[in-house]
Amino acid sequence: MSEDRKIRVLIAKPGLDGHERGARIIAYGLRDAGFEVIYTGLRQTPAEIARAAVQEDVDLVGLSILSGAHLSLTRKVLDRLSEMNASDIPVIVGGVVPPEDAETLASMGVAGVFTAGTPVSAVADFIRAQIAKKTD
Amino acid sequence: MASVSWDRLVDGVLSGDVRSLARLITRVENREPGWQEAMKALYPASGKAAVVGITGSPGAGKSTLTNAVAGLFAAQGRKIGVIAVDPSSPFSGGALLGDRLRMRESAVHPDVFIRSMATRGALGGLCQGARDVARIMAAFGKDLILIETVGVGQDEVEVVKAADCVMVVLTPGQGDGIQALKAGIMEIADIYVVNKADRDGADEVVADVLGMLSIAGGEGSPVLKTSAVTGAGIAELAEAVLAGIGRAKNRETWLRERVKAEILSLMENEILNSLVGKFGKNGALEKAVSGILDGKSDPYTAVEALLPGLSEAASGDGRR
Amino acid sequence: MSDIEKIRKERKRWEDEELAPRLKKFNLEKPVTSFSTPADLPEHDFLGKVGFPGEYPFTAGNASVEFWKANGRIAALFGFRPDWGGTRGVGKYGGFGTAEDYRDYLIRMHSMGRTGGPNMAFDLATQCGYDSDSEEAAGEVGRVGVAIDSFRDFAVIYEPYTGKIDIDKQPSNFTINAPCVVILAMYYVLAKKRGIDPKLLHGTPQNDILKEFIARGTYIYPPRQSLRLFKDSLVFMRANMPKFNVNSIGGYHIREAGATRIQDLAFSFANAAAYLSAGVDAGLDINDFAPMFTYNAFGGSMEIYQEIAFHRASRRMYARLLKETFGAVNPKAMIIRQPVSAHIGCSSTTLQRPLNNWIRAVVGGVAAGMTGAIPAAFPPWDEPLGLGHSQEATQMQFDATRILMYETGLTDVQDPWAGSYFMESLTDRIEAEALAEMARIDGMGGAVAAIESGYMQRAVAKSAYEKQKRVEAQEDLVVGVNCFNGPLEQDVRINTAVEPTYDPARMATAEERQVAKLKALKRGRDNKAVASLLNTLKDHAKDEGKNLMPDICDCVENDCTLQEICDVMREVFGVYSPVKL
Repeated sequence: MSEDRKIRVLIAKPGLDGHERGARIIAYGLRDAGFEVIYTGLRQTPAEIARAAVQEDVDLVGLSILSGAHLSLTRKVLDRLSEMNASDIPVIVGGVVPPEDAETLASMGVAGVFTAGTPVSAVADFIRAQIAKKTD
Repeated sequence: MASVSWDRLVDGVLSGDVRSLARLITRVENREPGWQEAMKALYPASGKAAVVGITGSPGAGKSTLTNAVAGLFAAQGRKIGVIAVDPSSPFSGGALLGDRLRMRESAVHPDVFIRSMATRGALGGLCQGARDVARIMAAFGKDLILIETVGVGQDEVEVVKAADCVMVVLTPGQGDGIQALKAGIMEIADIYVVNKADRDGADEVVADVLGMLSIAGGEGSPVLKTSAVTGAGIAELAEAVLAGIGRAKNRETWLRERVKAEILSLMENEILNSLVGKFGKNGALEKAVSGILDGKSDPYTAVEALLPGLSEAASGDGRR
Repeated sequence: MSDIEKIRKERKRWEDEELAPRLKKFNLEKPVTSFSTPADLPEHDFLGKVGFPGEYPFTAGNASVEFWKANGRIAALFGFRPDWGGTRGVGKYGGFGTAEDYRDYLIRMHSMGRTGGPNMAFDLATQCGYDSDSEEAAGEVGRVGVAIDSFRDFAVIYEPYTGKIDIDKQPSNFTINAPCVVILAMYYVLAKKRGIDPKLLHGTPQNDILKEFIARGTYIYPPRQSLRLFKDSLVFMRANMPKFNVNSIGGYHIREAGATRIQDLAFSFANAAAYLSAGVDAGLDINDFAPMFTYNAFGGSMEIYQEIAFHRASRRMYARLLKETFGAVNPKAMIIRQPVSAHIGCSSTTLQRPLNNWIRAVVGGVAAGMTGAIPAAFPPWDEPLGLGHSQEATQMQFDATRILMYETGLTDVQDPWAGSYFMESLTDRIEAEALAEMARIDGMGGAVAAIESGYMQRAVAKSAYEKQKRVEAQEDLVVGVNCFNGPLEQDVRINTAVEPTYDPARMATAEERQVAKLKALKRGRDNKAVASLLNTLKDHAKDEGKNLMPDICDCVENDCTLQEICDVMREVFGVYSPVKL
């Protein structure tokens, strides 16, 4: 039981965008992949997301953003995490993200960007690989 | 992430570092080797906090109520820990922990620390896990720890055994609310809360509870009406919680029972874990299962075979 | 032996002699196709279930002759472009930056002859009842729509709408829900200030708050209190703005959020029933106010037969709901007034090989044409790229629609599927399933209760996840996504240009300018009057019998901000806290 440690992830939607389908699918899918998923729902401020990530001691934070505000919102979440000395928690972003923006997000330090049509299983595999990398 | 030592995490918790608190909880929850030492180190500092159990059917508004009470206590200057429990999926072992979603107002308060926990269906149940997390929060300096339960099943009764004060949350129009009481929660409840009292039927639920209490001899337990949405009744509830905690501290026999229960529960965990570890690894458990399925044995014989001498011990005069 | 019995017997024979050996040959457990006979529709009551186009129960269509069909030739010869709007319609859906930015955009459109009324998108802060200077609005101001903090902002947008295109002659559309009452009040006050009789105003607000809890998520207050605000808007508009539509009910968002076809139909009608009941409870005559209801759209999918049956069933169900449940006698109260019919929905488009979405959209257009609507090949193929629709994709969308309209004869027949054994029985089945789901919601106490308990939200989330699992397991096949996605396939791209609707330089400074304006407003206005009006609003909010629209109109006219008004109601009503999944 304790050998394969439970993976804990936070799935959050920063900003006011209310399109929740992707975030919910990921939350269900990761639960069924055996993860413990903390789902904080809509309208989270970057500070709330960072606080939740720290308190829940998650292995990774997933942000779902469909309003086009992914660059500024992700930047703020990363800043808040850094203020809480939690820059080591990897962040991934899902949503409608044009390729150029995906590159910008990567350069900010985002661990992965997932757009429409990505299977949940691929996201789960990615997270496992991220965590394995970090633990090594 | 075994990079940070237990000692550093324990020091961090004792000196009020939030990340150490969160990380230590994870490692104790995972039962990583060394967890008992950490708990021993934290134990002396964990005595001052009170633990409040919040239980009731799913949909009764436990999270919203926890949020309201936590927010009020925090505003009074108390340091609050919240443990929000959700079930693990029996199929994948994963869990969707969504209580935080309804605790936004209190979550932003700097003195409120919320931790979501999955039941994990682990041996020994959730009771000890939640008790450990509450203790770590207490050692960190929390004054009051609220444990919000899943809302279904036997875990309820177990979890609240760890609490100094237990409130049961009911709502109007929830037919199974009173049913849940009959299922055994009643013996452990200190406060009855009829939440969503702005809806029709709240007074009927209050009357039902009072009626039941009078039959069962439980008069004196407060029955309160609240509306977590409008905030009505929250202040009264908070007062009742503090009063309930005060009463608990004076119940000496109850305190003794609680400590005894914890010792037994820890022992049970240890014994079960070591037995399962042993028989799981050497294949004895699987062999016994096969034997029963093949019709060559039965579960009672299998246990006797696995645990030599157990039947004598159980019969009460096991001789050496 | 009756004919039906004969057919049943023959069918049995056919299954044994013809079908079974084929199934065995191909090693199939069950048929991969279906075939319908009159036995699937044994007692088809044509007049009761289908009837004539434009007559109860409207299965065959809302009208015997549609406006757009009557004017189809003229539109072709004149070269009508649906995105320009005309003197009768609204322009392209949009809005960005500050009111000044959006106004200038509209002026530019007018100079190009695109004189349609404003079809407003609001930024998310406005939609959620926050002013531009609030913490919540940071980063969102003017982004997905125009920022409206006060009546002064609102009035700026209408500066170019004077003379021949003044607001008594041009419609306006407002895509807003939770603070819809505030925007409606602004429009009413604008008319009064211009000396225009509000009774002449026309247009459509979305004002469909219940679906926001199920999908889209721009709610503020709890469902019950939200419905009270809807009721206030309905009663006020019926009395003061009778030509203005009350709402634009959407199943579209619900389906896009993952709902099944049946959930889409049942949930949007359960919501509609809640709105209709609110009007009836307020003492209005169903025959007078139900015709003020409109529908945005239901959801869509690639399953063309199912979508056609869906629309036939929806028309019949709505007519019956209005007539039988609400006792309406006015036929205008019984029809679903909506601009579009069947379509594929944006969630049917794929990011992979996106040009294929053009073909997908055409399938939706065919389905639309067969249900009596403009065969709109919606959406443009570049929808999932998230960059805004390019001029090329928009042109291709229009041309596909025009080809369907003018070259194929698709729309020459009214309800071409009427009488089909297959389609009629499918229509019956969809209707029965949706009615069963509606009965379930009724049993919970109606739409509001089903939202409060989280039933609808969870049902939609589960359906979305089930769908995803079917795609991942290759049960549902999507070309380019989970099949035909190997290295041999070629990604076809064409050059596109997105029309520069939004000036990036202005967008960059919008928040700053908007906040500065708001500061100036708060300094310059009569703050005593503001405080007193907000107080009155608060008092009246506590009294459910009071209609809040007149108070909100007063607040708006005296420069209370949108958030100030919403905050007062937040205090009294509380805010909605989402349910757990």
